[in-house]
Order: sequence, then C-alpha cells, then structure tokens
Amino acid sequence: MSLAIPNGLDNTVEKPGQRAPLVLGDTTYHDITETVCQVAERPPSKSWVAGFLVAFALLQMLGLTIAYLLYTGVGVWGNRSPIFWGWPIVNFVFWVGIGHAGTLISAILFLFRQEWRTSINRAAEAMTIFAVACAGTFPGIHVGRAWLAFWLAPYPSLNLWMWPQFRSPLLWDVFAVSTYGTVSLLFWYMGMVPDLATFRDRSTNKWRRMAYGLLSLGWSGSSRHWMRYEKAYALLAAFAAPLVLSVHTIVSFDFAVSQVPGWHTTIFPPYFVAGAIFSGFAMVLTLMVPARSMLGLEKLITIRHMDNMCKIILATGSIVGLAYGTEFFIAWYGQVGEEQFAFTNRAFGPYWWAYWTMVTCNVISPQLFWFKKFRTTPWIIVVITIFVNIGMWFERFVIVCTSLSRDYLPSAWAYFSPTWVDWAMLIGSFGLFFTLFLLFCRLMPVINMSETKSTLAKQYHMAHLDDDHAAATEH
Amino acid sequence: MSASETATETVSESEKKIHGVTAEFTSVDTLLAACRRVRDAGYTKTDAFAPFAVHGIDKALGIKPTVLPWIALIGGVTGVTVALCMQIWMNAIDYPYIISGKPFISLPAFIPVAFELTILLASFGAFFGMWALNGLPRFSNPMFTNPRFDRVTDDTFFLFVDSKDERFDQAGVERLFADCGGEHIDTVVEDDSPTKVPSFLIVAWLVSVALSIIPLLIVAKMRVTNSSSPRFHIFFDMDFSPARDAQQTTSIFADNRAARPDIPGTVARGQVQDLSFTTGIEKLSSNAPKPSEHLVAFMQESDDSKTTGGAAQKSVMDTTVWLDKNPRKVDASLLERGQQQFGIYCSVCHGMNGGGNGLVNQRAQKLSQSTWIQPSSLHQETLYSDKYPDGKLFSTITNGIRKMPGYAGQIKAKDRWAIVAYVRALQQSQNASIDLVPQAKRASLEKEKAGVEKRLKEEAEEAQKKAGESKKDSPKPA
Repeated sequence: MSLAIPNGLDNTVEKPGQRAPLVLGDTTYHDITETVCQVAERPPSKSWVAGFLVAFALLQMLGLTIAYLLYTGVGVWGNRSPIFWGWPIVNFVFWVGIGHAGTLISAILFLFRQEWRTSINRAAEAMTIFAVACAGTFPGIHVGRAWLAFWLAPYPSLNLWMWPQFRSPLLWDVFAVSTYGTVSLLFWYMGMVPDLATFRDRSTNKWRRMAYGLLSLGWSGSSRHWMRYEKAYALLAAFAAPLVLSVHTIVSFDFAVSQVPGWHTTIFPPYFVAGAIFSGFAMVLTLMVPARSMLGLEKLITIRHMDNMCKIILATGSIVGLAYGTEFFIAWYGQVGEEQFAFTNRAFGPYWWAYWTMVTCNVISPQLFWFKKFRTTPWIIVVITIFVNIGMWFERFVIVCTSLSRDYLPSAWAYFSPTWVDWAMLIGSFGLFFTLFLLFCRLMPVINMSETKSTLAKQYHMAHLDDDHAAATEH
Repeated sequence: MSASETATETVSESEKKIHGVTAEFTSVDTLLAACRRVRDAGYTKTDAFAPFAVHGIDKALGIKPTVLPWIALIGGVTGVTVALCMQIWMNAIDYPYIISGKPFISLPAFIPVAFELTILLASFGAFFGMWALNGLPRFSNPMFTNPRFDRVTDDTFFLFVDSKDERFDQAGVERLFADCGGEHIDTVVEDDSPTKVPSFLIVAWLVSVALSIIPLLIVAKMRVTNSSSPRFHIFFDMDFSPARDAQQTTSIFADNRAARPDIPGTVARGQVQDLSFTTGIEKLSSNAPKPSEHLVAFMQESDDSKTTGGAAQKSVMDTTVWLDKNPRKVDASLLERGQQQFGIYCSVCHGMNGGGNGLVNQRAQKLSQSTWIQPSSLHQETLYSDKYPDGKLFSTITNGIRKMPGYAGQIKAKDRWAIVAYVRALQQSQNASIDLVPQAKRASLEKEKAGVEKRLKEEAEEAQKKAGESKKDSPKPA
C-alpha cells in the first residue's frame, strides 16, 4: 500500500487536470509517523543543544533586563519626550505582526481548502503563540508599573472605584491581543491532540506515556470524535479568520485613532494587516527552511510549499509597497501641511536611513520572488526572508519614531536614541522566542501528522482513479 | 482466527465481560466498504477508529450530525450580549466617562471589544463543547486494553461493534468482519483496572489547594483589618518621589535649600557671551570702581527712569560709553531676522513702520486711556545713531524705558542686535534722499513713486466723493 512518487520530483510544475503531490517519495502513513516522531524521540543533536543554550542565555538576559527595568524605572529605556513609545511598542507591533502567519495558515488557508498548509500549519501556529508571548511582554512592562497591569482588566476594583475606558483603542488592543492569544492557543492545542495521542501510543517510557496521555485527553480516534473534532476545527477556523484580521486592525487603531501626523490615516488597518501577513510568512520561511533539512522533513515540507509561501510574500510585499506609495499620495492630495511634512520628514528627515532600509527590504527584496529560481532555492529564500524581517522591524520603527519625534510643536522635537537596555530587550525577546520554539521541536509533533495522512489518503485515492481510468481505456 | 480464540479463552477463564469485537483494516477504501456492510447488516452501536478524519465515514456508519454549531452560536450570542451590557453599564451608567463629547452609549466605539468577546466565547463553545460531547478527557477506555490498538494513531483503521448492540452476536460479527477483509479480528474486554484516582494524588491536590489559598487569605485579612504599623511600600520611591519642589527644604545641602543657586564663577550652558554683546556698553565708566557696581547703578537708574518718567540730572545713561556699531555683521539676512523680530515684539506698539502708532496704541487712543503714554516714534532725530548709539538702543530694548518693559527675557541678545539693525534701516527709510539710490535704479523708482502718488490721489478723491454721497443720502434730522 504505497504510492511511488520520486523524491526528486519537481512538484512545483502544474499539470492540467492533476493535483501536484504534496507528499513526496515512497511514503506510507507509517512513514509519516516515523518521520515526525523521530524528531522528538531521538536524542537531541549537537546543533539543537548549542542553539538552545544560546537562546536560553538570551532569555536570561531578557529576564534580567526586565528585573532591572522594574527595579529602576522606565527611564532605563531611550524613551524621552516626545518619543514615549519608543522601542517597546516597536517590538510589540513587530512580534504581533509575526504572530499573524500561524493562524492565517491554519484558518484562512483551511477555509480556502489549500491542502498544502497541512505540513506547515503546526509549526506556524506554534510560532504564532510564541510571537504573541513575546509581543505581550512589551506593553506589559511599558505601562510603567508592571505590577499594576491588572488594572487593564474590567474588574470591580476597591482601590480605583472606576472602570476601564472602553472608547480607547489601547483598551481594544488588550482585548484583541488577549483574545487572539487565547484562541490561537486553543486552536493549536486542539490540532495537536490526535498527534499527542500518537506520541502517547509510541512512548516506551512510563512517565512519557503518562505526560502525553494526560495531554492527549484519552483520544482514541473514534469516528464520532473525529466528526465533532472536524466540525469544531472548521468552526474555530471560521472564528479565527476574522479574528486574525481584526487583531492587527485594532493594533493599527492605536495609531490611526490618534491625531499624530503620519498616524492619522484610514489606510492603516489594511496596510497593517498586509504587513503582518508579510512578516509572519517571512518568519515561517526563515524558520522552516533550515528546520526541514535539519529535522529531515524534506518529503513532507516540499519545494512546492516554499514556492507557495514565497508567492504569498510577493503578493503581500507588493501590497505593502503600494501602501507606502498611497500614504505619500494622500499626504500630497490631502493638502494638510503637517501631514505633508510628516512624510517628507520620514523619507528625507533625520531618519532617512531607517526609511530607505525599510523600502529596500520590504518593497524591493520580495520582488525577486517573481523569478522561480529565487522561490525554489532554499538558501536564497532564507536570505530574502531575513531581509523582510529586518525591513518589517524598521517599518514599525519608522512609524513609531519618526511621527512622534517631530509632530506639531517644533520646540518639542527630538531624536530617538536607544539605550543598551533597549537593545538587550530586543535581542532577549528573540531568546524567548527561540527557546520556546526549540523546546516545541523537541517535545511536540512539529508536523500535523493526522492531516498530512489525510492528504496522503486523497493522493492515493486520486492515483487509484487514474489507474482505473487507464485500465478502462486499455480495454 | 487464532488470536480471537485465545482472547475468548482468556475471557472465559477470567470471566471478563466482553465489550465488543474489532477488526483491523489497512486502507480507507476497505474500511469504508466494511462500514457500509456493517450498517446494512443492521448494527447501530458501532464505531470506527482511524488515525485521521476519514471523509464519508459518518454516512457509511450512519452517524448523526452534531449539535456543536449551536453550542458555538450560544457562546457567540452570550459574548456579544455580555460585552455590550458590560461596556454600557461600566462606561455609561455606573461610571459615565466624558470622552471628546461622545455620547455615553457610543456603540461604534464598543464594537471592537464586543467583536473580540463574541469570537472568544464562540471559540470556547466550539472547543469545550467538542470535548464535552466527545466525553473527553476520558483516560480509561476498554479499547486501550488491546496493545494492537496503539497503532490506531499510526496507520491502522479499526472497526468495532459494541456488545450492547441489540443484534450483537459474537460469531456473526466475526464472520461479517472476515467477509469484509478485516484482519486480526479480536474481542475487546471491559477495562477492569482500578478507576479510582490514587490517594497520594488526591492528598497532593488538597495540599496544593490549601497552600495556594494562604496568600489570598492573608491579602483578604489585611484588606479588612486596621493596623498601627505603616503601610508596606514595595517601591517606595515610586509612591513618594524623592525629587523636591522649588520652595521645599532638603537636608542634603548645608543651607537646606532645595532650589540651588548658580555656582559662583559659572555660566549656564549656551550663555557664554561677551559682556558688551549682552549689555551694549563698550567699556564701563571710570567713575565706577568696579564693573559690577556700575551695572547695579545702571539697573537702578533704568528702574527709576521708568517710574519718574526720565530723570533730569545727568544720569549713568549719559556717562556710559556705548557701543557705536552693531557688533553683528549687518547684511540682508540680519535685517530680515530683525524685521521678523520687530514685527513680533515691537510693532504692536511702535507700528510696523516705527512711527509709534501700533495696534495697541490705536486701541488705547480709542479707549482714551489717561494713563497711556504714547510709544515713541523711532523717527525722532534724538534717536538717530549719532545721538543715540547702537549700544544705547540695544540697552533700551534690553532693560526698557518709561512704560516699556525690558525684553531681555523674551528676545535673545543676538536677535536684539538684529532689531537694532532693522530700526536703523527703518530710520533711513523715512529720511532717504534719491541720491542714495544707484543711478540705474532711479528711473524705475521714480516711476513707482508717480504711480503710488496717482493711486493715492485717486483714492482720496473717491473717498471724498463717497462721503459727499452718503451725506446726501442720509435723511436730514428734522
């Protein structure tokens, strides 16, 4: 019971009337189980240990700088009048943006029946949750008195005798990001339960069996369970699709609802959402391309998967480029002096270097994906997507810092300079992200085995139809 | 069939209750075909187990659709209701906030939170509803007693008929499975392993709950009891800022003053300037033994002159040796700066042309203010540079004269010099002869002059005519 699809087959070629195979090689259901489980079951490789140690050290740096911040006060950052948002908010928007790809791949591509998502959605969802964890850290400590951050919640307070202000975009943000984090976590965990049951059934060690047994909630693969499970999955996908679009929309309201020149624009919601998908897919590729070869997953995460994701990066990157142009057009067309100044200042003011770094990385570099050679060569993909990540960080820096540094009152203008704490926290947040991601690779199923098996089942089914067809014509 | 025979023997030996019969299949198609046959044979308490969701199996087995979407709908409706009620009650009823003049119940601003809570509770409905309907978590399952069943999460499909089925007959089911191509046909026995939670887990759980309540109890007790000891401040300097206000005392310095005076011999950053540049005095009078004393006399003098309206006796103003020439380079850009600064600070009283009839003066004349002293015209001969040197003019702007206050606080020294330069230009403008104009430009100037004179004349005639007409039109008082 197997289907011979050569390993070296170029599945990026479209053949009329046929679906390109998404699982390569002479692969069976059991092979999928073996390929995915060996990642967690074999002893950790040296490169994993080295990577984990580096990431864990950076995480400690983040923890120590946060402790220093809480003990000393927010003055340790470079945030000064008039740039009170500074890097913490730049980092927040950057990480929230990264966190959009996972749910997008899981929910929106699911609703569009894009089956190639099955082998990448698990890792992308994990990445989402870890990115949201990084994102949530920054506003939490940016409130100044982090130990009072619970004041954001609408609870009957005996100290304040008042409620949160529900007309503020910053409060909407609290609800949006926390809902997004919660629903993404449910979605990720629910998708993982059948695969955790596989881990449970394969485990030879008593404690391992107990831990995965508890996590998999006694999953037995009953078809009644599967039916409700599929329904719940479709419902969650339907709920998560508008949710993922709403989150970055609301993040953009933090800016767009204010009166600051360069922020007060109606284009922000779609522009932010496109940018978020753009950066999220770039991060997925930056991680998945090395991971697929290091973890031996080439048969399941094929060149076609990367080709498809590069096309999405090209599309969203072009939307982002169009948005940059539109901002300038509207600044000119709107004939508001402050707005015009804000945009001239962005491109040619003291932050020109940041602006043109952003344009080079976000608008020019993804255009290389028009060429198939660039979409199908792994190392080129990694280089371009790293550029996109850098560009998207700079986009948030440009939006936050250039607009705040020069608004209506020239006597209050200033230039933002980060401190070592800003740098340590930015780098440390990558430590948090990679620590979680590397632990995930070791402890959890990195690929959605059950969905990949159902994709393989369809592939078998199609192949049998073809055989029958061929047999019929021979007679 | 040997496996099933042994299983049956084991059952009869230990008298375990049979839960049902299973068969294994290796492909989706054979499983689906078998499901249809089992359904058609009339079995209802059946189930199939698969490593992934097999499409079409609910129809093949006759499984009814789930009510899960309704649970999600209830969650969503609850979410939107709770969110709207919460926001309206909190922000419009219990604690009405006035925000930018918006209505207290401003629905558009409540949409984002309502949307998020709708999604959140609908997702909870779908997620928890699914587990509840599936009866999970359930860790004890008779199916798990069969070690071969571990492969159900790998690559094997199981079909199962429950012994509680009305038509259940072990031999019949086994035959049917064999006909369908099922392998490893097996009986499943009830799981008789203890279902009780181990007592050490219960004890550990109780202990951890008890321990976690302690901090909460301490907080609760502290909230409701009075204490004579002072409140505990985690971050003392955030509750009480150590920074002092201007008039407060401090124990840090010997003089106990929080506001620190300038340190002797220092100049504030950006204030290092030549003394004559900031005072307009070329060199201090020989009568005064010390420059500082001279300056003090000078300052008192200018204060007196303000109150007495100009002292008659020879004052320090006359004995001072003033700078003759503007220390800044006089060029077009300096004059432009001077014009701008003059326009901002001087013109309101002295008028744009320096004639002494600015808007403030016009208004004061209109109100007939008796205390008003008319601003000087800058075009008096006594104010020309030969009688009133640049330094003296600078000093007047700096320290004021009569009713005019000093502008040192508002205008920077270098801008005061720009104003001095501009005032000189203004004075020239009122007194210039055509000889000063270069030969080449005289003709055009003459032409312009003639044009202006003609226009003024016409305007005057027009005004006269209008005045005459309006007199004619207006009804004569009887």
